[in-house]
Amino acid sequence: MKALILRGGQSSRMGSDKPSLSLRGETLLDRQVNLAHSITPDVFLSVAFSDKGKGHPVPAIPDLEESPGPLGGLQSAFAQDPDSSWLLIACDLPRLSQRDLIRLLDTREGTDVSCFLNPIDGVPEPLAALYHPSAAPKLEAYFQGKNRCARRFLQGLCRNEVKPLDPQALLNLNCPEHLFEFEALHREKITFKEVEVEYFAKLSAEASCDREQLRTSAATVVGLWEEVRLRHHFSLELPQIKPARDNEFIPWDTPLRDNDAISFMPPFAGG
Amino acid sequence: MTRSASCPPSPEVKAFSITQRPIEVTPLRRAVLDDTCGALVVFEGLVRNHHEGRDVSALRYTHHPVMAEREGLKILSETLARFDITHALAVHRVGDLSIGDCAVVTLTASSHREEAFAANQYLIDRIKFEVPIWKYETYLDGVSEWTAPCPRCAAGVDHRH
Repeated sequence: MKALILRGGQSSRMGSDKPSLSLRGETLLDRQVNLAHSITPDVFLSVAFSDKGKGHPVPAIPDLEESPGPLGGLQSAFAQDPDSSWLLIACDLPRLSQRDLIRLLDTREGTDVSCFLNPIDGVPEPLAALYHPSAAPKLEAYFQGKNRCARRFLQGLCRNEVKPLDPQALLNLNCPEHLFEFEALHREKITFKEVEVEYFAKLSAEASCDREQLRTSAATVVGLWEEVRLRHHFSLELPQIKPARDNEFIPWDTPLRDNDAISFMPPFAGG
Repeated sequence: MTRSASCPPSPEVKAFSITQRPIEVTPLRRAVLDDTCGALVVFEGLVRNHHEGRDVSALRYTHHPVMAEREGLKILSETLARFDITHALAVHRVGDLSIGDCAVVTLTASSHREEAFAANQYLIDRIKFEVPIWKYETYLDGVSEWTAPCPRCAAGVDHRH
């Protein structure tokens, strides 16, 4: 088995290059490289088509074409070694742990991939998964059909699905506010809270309810928002939303308490 | 905010309120005027029959039951603090509205017109983007949707529609 670290896309919502983001004294890239090394000695970094492969902490595997998306990394990895299983690890999953990754290795006979189910919505996660050689020809066929969506590719594979032990294992860093949640989870460890969530206008239409009770392991309001966004497939993103508690707007890093009632509001449109 | 026309102006009129009923401007006008006023600017926001190129047939406003008035009142007191005006008042209507109905009215009274105009513009701009009120539009083609404000308007960028 070999591991492939995915640097991720443009980091446009984060506003800075995600792999070089420093969290608790180490960059996200170094963290994931070290994590991969705790599983296998053969760790590679997926880099862009035009990358010369210099100056990386581990050997680089360039994409075979311009901007193919994360699956392009897997395609290049299989091109380099089609007989190995490849463990894909995205840079922006800062809570992935050796304890959970090891569980992907308990493979089932006849499956193409071993992957985590997101604890929030039960959807298989394509960018922290162990792809076996049988997935390689299926990936080639998928690419020939001009498809690039990693999630849909994963849905077409025969999967060994694993529930992560850490309910926040797949916490994703996409914008600066997500760092609040990461830091708070790190400080406070995982605790479950009962919360009431209230939606307005477009959000209540998309959630098909005005309010709901949830049991959540989120530590802050931003963590709760990402959880309900995933759960209800909300079309709106964090910068468009205003959170409130007790009829007052609150910042995204507000710690979540047991029995909180949190409101999420879409953009106002009076007048 | 539905005082009859015969009712005398009183200080109890809330500076910002939400109403389910048609907005009557005359009593509001009397509530903001006194003998020092040389200028009164009244802005009425009306329901128009088109939105971003689509024909609108009906419209519904909803609001946050507590925060809409509270945020509106904050904006009113900040408007009064910021401009040299004597009074300011705003009412927003919610519920089902028809084309031509008045959705919002803002009144600013001052000794002189410059401040009354400037304060009114400031007031309506902030009400549109900071008070938790939402608009559900139904179009002539039968489609209905929650509309988002124009991002450039919300950001205060000078532009035309």
